[in-house]
Amino acid sequence: MSIITEVIESTRAIIQGMSVTLSYIPKRKQTVQYPEEPVTVQPRYRGQHLLHVDELGREKCVACFLCAAACPSECIYIEAADDPRAPEERTGVDERYAKIYNIDYGRCIFCGYCVEACPKDAITHGYNFELSVYNRADLLKRKDDLLITKQVQSKNYRVAFSDEDVDSEWKEV
Amino acid sequence: MSTELVKVTINAKDFQVPKGARLIDVCRENQFDIPSFCYYADLALQASCRMCLVRIEKMPKLQTSCTIICTDGMVVTTQSEEIEKARRSMLEFLLANHPLDCPVCDRGGECELQELTFDWGNLEERFIEQKNARAEKYLSPMVANDPQRCILCKRCTRVCDEWMGEDAIEAGNRGANTVIGTYGGWLNCSQCGNCIEVCPTGTLLDGTYRHQARPWELTQTISTCTYCSDGCQMSLGSRGDELMRIVARDRYVNGLNGEFLCIKGRFGHPFVNHEERIRTPLIRYQKGGRLVPATWDEAIRFTAQKLDGIVAARGNNSLAVVGSPRLTNEALYCLRKFAAEVVETENYAVADAFSLKPFFESLGGPLATHQDIRHAKTIVLIGGEPEELQPLTAKQIRQAVRNGGAKLILINSVPIRLREQAAQFIHIRPGTENAAALALAGNADDALAARKMGVEAAELEILRQTISETQGDVVLMFGGELSAEAQAVVAQMPYTFAGEGRRILLHPLALFNNSVGALDLDVNGKSVSDLLDAAGVSIHAMYMAGSLLPEHMPKCGLSKLDFLVVQELFETETTAFADVVFPAASFAEIDGTFTNNDGFVQRVRKSIEPVHQSKPDWLIVSELAKELGVDFGFERSASAVFREIAERIPAYADLRYPLLKDESHPLQVKHAIASKRELAKEIAGIRRAVAELSDDGVKVSETPQVGHELFKLGTLTDKVPQFHLLAAGNPTPASFAISPLYQITIDEGIKREKAVA
Repeated sequence: MSIITEVIESTRAIIQGMSVTLSYIPKRKQTVQYPEEPVTVQPRYRGQHLLHVDELGREKCVACFLCAAACPSECIYIEAADDPRAPEERTGVDERYAKIYNIDYGRCIFCGYCVEACPKDAITHGYNFELSVYNRADLLKRKDDLLITKQVQSKNYRVAFSDEDVDSEWKEV
Repeated sequence: MSTELVKVTINAKDFQVPKGARLIDVCRENQFDIPSFCYYADLALQASCRMCLVRIEKMPKLQTSCTIICTDGMVVTTQSEEIEKARRSMLEFLLANHPLDCPVCDRGGECELQELTFDWGNLEERFIEQKNARAEKYLSPMVANDPQRCILCKRCTRVCDEWMGEDAIEAGNRGANTVIGTYGGWLNCSQCGNCIEVCPTGTLLDGTYRHQARPWELTQTISTCTYCSDGCQMSLGSRGDELMRIVARDRYVNGLNGEFLCIKGRFGHPFVNHEERIRTPLIRYQKGGRLVPATWDEAIRFTAQKLDGIVAARGNNSLAVVGSPRLTNEALYCLRKFAAEVVETENYAVADAFSLKPFFESLGGPLATHQDIRHAKTIVLIGGEPEELQPLTAKQIRQAVRNGGAKLILINSVPIRLREQAAQFIHIRPGTENAAALALAGNADDALAARKMGVEAAELEILRQTISETQGDVVLMFGGELSAEAQAVVAQMPYTFAGEGRRILLHPLALFNNSVGALDLDVNGKSVSDLLDAAGVSIHAMYMAGSLLPEHMPKCGLSKLDFLVVQELFETETTAFADVVFPAASFAEIDGTFTNNDGFVQRVRKSIEPVHQSKPDWLIVSELAKELGVDFGFERSASAVFREIAERIPAYADLRYPLLKDESHPLQVKHAIASKRELAKEIAGIRRAVAELSDDGVKVSETPQVGHELFKLGTLTDKVPQFHLLAAGNPTPASFAISPLYQITIDEGIKREKAVA
């Protein structure tokens, strides 16, 4: 192959490649200027867990351990306790409540089995996804980090509306 | 059950089964699954759950297999569409009123109703009516109750009646309104908790383990009870480094006690993780000073130096070694070895309440196992109070009388509760138990014995006649009241009453979990009170594993010692005198063996790591021996110690841990059987002692209260808050809805506070 043919061939390849690139420039952007702009997450996104409370502010969790049993990475640790107080003064909805509820995010794989196992709808996945820490021990989140009343929600996400099309690109396929 | 065989056809397969076998048992033995709730082996029949329905040819309707005795030529179908439909409908009815609160129910995960619902339940419930709501409540400090979960199988009421003879828990009301409850709403029974154990649902629950953990989270370790000498097998449920609960449920453990446990075995475990456990070795550098925490190295070195000094100055026998009947065989063996080979002292004793040494020296026949007691034909009980001190033995006696038709002959100064089962009750004057041994030995002294005991001579004649007319097993039991000579006489009874078709079995009612083992390993058999009397006179230092019993404390002379070393779990009255205290590991933290009053060597297994810095007793002794220049040469495992026990102690020959693995087939120690010998000397001795007794002692006519021994607070049971309530007379709280622990303050005397809810 002569040098001239080589030059021609490579020029054509560059033009071919760049034409694809340039054709995308006028189209809608997929990238987000995170963290200046909030990321849009799906309504069913599996972020950091939330422990829910009922309308009186009592924890819904009854410490049945089913989430811990369902967890494939064994990241949930619970200690149950008895709450003898009157129903309206209790920590939880039932006499039985979780004294300690820890999730180790160093192990969690966000599979959602715990949410599926929960008979009381007490645990769901939230949308917080900024879980990186400087100290590995901080990956262990306690009940106070997980309770919906106490967990600080990040400003850097926006939940998509249910009819909103956030990733049509994938749906086209 | 006879040995005659009958032919039964189950699902078109022929089986030869013993005549009189129950159909449900036969089916299950042959791997035909039959679900049931109310059927419980060795309890009266109920046939109320109707889950065990089968089709038997020539019978008009489906039959409950738990009530059917196999007959020759019976043709049975256990699986068909009709049966499945019947079982599914039955379960649907059982669930009609059962709340869907499995997530909060402590039984969830090991619930029989849950399991059978998986097999026979329908996916959807058709009943949409309001469920019959009943509030959760407490029946006693130990028993929590959720009446709504009850399926009315009545296992609890039958167990309470037949095993415990208490009838404390009963069914009230009728029809759909039937509830399991108790008289006056508050249980004043022996709190054994067997109703909790047999409950197939979450109706009766352990009040001390309420809402603590779930069964699948617990590691189950099979071990032996650390309280009385019955040696019940139980399953320790631990989570991490915490012992959460103890059960004897047959899905985890299948020992000589079945699912039976008493209050101490089942609820007396919180001492294991108690905050008052001694954490580090403690040294009192100066007499009268404080016990100061020290490292292991320092404490061992300090002890070795002091012991060396005292032995050098005062001779080997100035040191005494005292063991405890609560320790494992391994620990006791190491202590004995320490005494014999390291400090070379003759002063070794075990701090037991009474010694069975004379009994084992004259032992004329085999020891009765609990199975033997259950199937015995005649049971003679001299003294003792098994329902308080050896509850499993009491249960076996009750069942032998009630289900096996045995005759119980009770010779006691107190009308104990077993009197209800007794065919003959010889009510004697307090302190005259030895005269009973005299009466057993022959009729020569009947007049004297009857006069001293305050009974008719004819009663003693009936006693001897009943034994010598028995076809089958006779079990002779005796408590700690018998003197050494009387023990020897009773031990020789198998020769006295020998006869065709009759076996005489002996059953000593030892007090502690390893009283028998301690005796097997003890060569000198010195009495601990002799050693304590010599304290400060000829004995100047003492090495103690475990504390002294309260009866030894008053004039113990420990304060006169120059040096006292104690291995203990807690600071006790004994450690108050100690110069060095080593933290010992409790039964849940060690491997080892206990020998029970059947002579069964049973394994104790490690359930959790030793708490804080504690170490097994045998290891502490070995380490101290090493510091003193004698290396026992054991590997760091209890099995190595037991191997040496098997080599050195003839009764334990050929026993190894792997052979002791199966708790359902325990191995008996081969105690040497003494040959028949002349008892004239012993009988003369008893006669002399009996003749000196007064003729006009007042008989005790009141039956002692339930729990007067069981609920006593010892070093270990003191750590269970609920025991304090029971010891204070089990007061009825203002509200049954919450645990009485939250309502009643015990520390400032019994004070009934306003209920929280």
